Amino acid sequence: MTVLIVDDHPSFRASARTLLESEGYQVVGEAENGADAVKAAQELHPDLVLLDVQLPDIDGFKVAEQLRRLVDPPAVVLTSSRDRADYGPCINVCGACGFVPKADLSGAAIAALLVA
Amino acid sequence: MTPAWRPWLYFGPAALIAGGLAVALTATSDHEQHPGQTIALVLFVSSSFILAGLIGWTRRPWNRTGTLMVAVGFGVLIGVLGEANHPIPFTLGALFGSLFIAAFVHLLLAYPSGRLLSRRARILVGAGYTIAFLAPLAESMFAAREKCKPHACPDNLVLVSHDHAAHVVATTVWTAASVVLFAAVVMLLLGRWRETTPGLRRILRSVYLFGGLSIVLLAIGFVVTPFSGVGAIFVSVALIATFTTVPFIFLAGLLGTAIARGAGVGAIFSSVPERASPGEVQEGLRNALRDETAVVAYWYEEDEHYVDVEGNRLDLPEDTRRRVVTRLDYGDQPVAAIVHDAALLQEPELLEGVANAARIALERDKLLVEVRARAQRYRALLQAMPDLMFRISRDGRYISYNAPNERDLVNGEVVGRLLWDRLPTDLADRVLASGRAALGGDPSVIEYYLDFEDGSRRHYEGRFAASGDDEFLMIVREITERKQQQEELEASRQRIVAAGDAARRKLERNLHDGAQQRLVSLSLSLRLAQNQVAKSPVRAEELLEASREELMQALEELRELARGIHPAVLTDRGLEAALEALAGRAALPVEIDCIPDVELPPPVEAAAYYVVSEALANITKYAGASAVKVTIGQVDGYALVEVVDDGVGGADPGRGSGLSGLSDRVASLNGKLVIDSPPGAGTRIRAEIPLE
Repeated sequence: MTVLIVDDHPSFRASARTLLESEGYQVVGEAENGADAVKAAQELHPDLVLLDVQLPDIDGFKVAEQLRRLVDPPAVVLTSSRDRADYGPCINVCGACGFVPKADLSGAAIAALLVA
Repeated sequence: MTPAWRPWLYFGPAALIAGGLAVALTATSDHEQHPGQTIALVLFVSSSFILAGLIGWTRRPWNRTGTLMVAVGFGVLIGVLGEANHPIPFTLGALFGSLFIAAFVHLLLAYPSGRLLSRRARILVGAGYTIAFLAPLAESMFAAREKCKPHACPDNLVLVSHDHAAHVVATTVWTAASVVLFAAVVMLLLGRWRETTPGLRRILRSVYLFGGLSIVLLAIGFVVTPFSGVGAIFVSVALIATFTTVPFIFLAGLLGTAIARGAGVGAIFSSVPERASPGEVQEGLRNALRDETAVVAYWYEEDEHYVDVEGNRLDLPEDTRRRVVTRLDYGDQPVAAIVHDAALLQEPELLEGVANAARIALERDKLLVEVRARAQRYRALLQAMPDLMFRISRDGRYISYNAPNERDLVNGEVVGRLLWDRLPTDLADRVLASGRAALGGDPSVIEYYLDFEDGSRRHYEGRFAASGDDEFLMIVREITERKQQQEELEASRQRIVAAGDAARRKLERNLHDGAQQRLVSLSLSLRLAQNQVAKSPVRAEELLEASREELMQALEELRELARGIHPAVLTDRGLEAALEALAGRAALPVEIDCIPDVELPPPVEAAAYYVVSEALANITKYAGASAVKVTIGQVDGYALVEVVDDGVGGADPGRGSGLSGLSDRVASLNGKLVIDSPPGAGTRIRAEIPLE
């Protein structure tokens, strides 16, 4: 499964890439803001976008909506160092498959969301 | 019969009997040349005095003038004993025949009260009675021969000798004594006339004129008689003319009031308009009392003192011989008082009549004068007020105003103008609405501002109160300064709140971007290491080492953040240690000069710490300084914090939020922050914070 990691913190992108790759995911690209994320998704057609909620330009929810409108929309899993409860209903309405707290990130957690 | 009539009971019949005896004695006298004339004269003079005296006595029982007049009348009758043909009454007549002159002097000096009020008068009267007895006695003891016609006089029982020389001496001595006495009496009367009040002068005028003339004529008569028969007759005629007039003048003076009473009371109502002002009532009273100096005083209940017709306070004078106070009370309640000439006490009926008639008018006026006094007090109060005050009618027209400071008048023309002529329409409408609300019993306050021609804008507070049925007061106070302070305070509060919000946002961001990210990475690294433990222990160890470093950095970032929230060292070790820590972390040398063991209240310590902290941050960022000196001191109840650098200067408090945030923090403790930063000459930031 191809993955695009979107986060403005390089250290997280690096950790996430290592972790997901160790669990069999193929990380095809990284983006550090919303605009780059949409552009990369159009170019790379990943199966999954791991999308940080808090980005320097537009927030993750808006990016998720834009991704959903693409011709071949990828599955979107939102992530954040904050808790899910901090975002209320936004996660459900933006078209994302689900939310994984950064500290709980793992291939298994993402797989569980995709199945559901 | 009332006690007042009692004198008639005794002295009426006595006078009739004495008069009858006098007629009998004179008619049968063998040494009286003109019995008819003598009888007529004696009866006329004596009855005039007795009759006038008895009337006066009855009408003024407390006044002895009437009694003295009766005494003079009987004194005249006693003299008629000299007409008797028998030696005893003849001698008695000669001895006591002059007593009536002493009584007359007594009457004159005691007028108008009938009492001798001065020592001089008492001495003169005493001398008068002495001379009136001793002079005839001496003359009788050394009588001249052949005095009586047509027949010889009866025997003189006190005759010592007919020695001519002794007779001349006795006559001369006593004549001289009499003349001196008369002169002294005239002098006394003249002195009194000069000293007396206009009111009393009016009463004394005719009495002194005719009484004094009688005395003068008597004196002349005494001098002339021994030398000139013709002169003596001439003087006698004049004396009789004046002397017989006197009792009627005394009576007129004594009873003048009875005649004047009706006229006086009537005068108040006839000459004073029906709706007279207090001033006109006072004028009417003066006319009625014939006392131009009379003053009406109204009782002012509210302040418990008297006021004059204008409403000014009037303290009633103590009674003196010249001026006295007649109080008009209603029961125990004072109504008014009249301060008048003491002479009016001699006309009690006039005074009482006028006072009674005036009481009603005065009681009515009392209300008016009270209102006037109150109005005057309020006027004084309003004039003393430091505020601008306008009286405005219900329809919005200015009636009057009081402006302690003309600069507060947006337009100098006030009285007669409408609100809308002077104020912006919406303000004029508000003023009128508030004024009418006050008239309806709902006093209110409005705040507004005015733009003046000099370009200034001043804020005012207007208070409203009803000042009549159809007018209200607008009391205006300038509140520009207060308004500015309020606005500054409001802005400062908003900045503090905004600064707090910004600080929290920054903190959350820092936490999120810093420690939180590191902890997330740490979590992921640990998970990776966990995955690798079995497959590649070496890789797992590397990952664990990386995790430990990540954790150390996360801890350091958390410490830094915690310091930013509140420096723990400040709480634990005090200001000096906290400043030392700041200096230690600073990128340039910082010298700290702090009073040892300075004890400041915690909020002041915190403010001082942040002043230094923010100043050092600014210096590091902008000043290009090589050294900084920080001074903490305490002077006159103020904590002083000073940060001086040798950088480029030109710091602008309006530029960043740092300095204005500091300014707000210091201002919240009633302190002030002064920034002195001339371009090229370093920056001096000085905070002064009160310790109380």
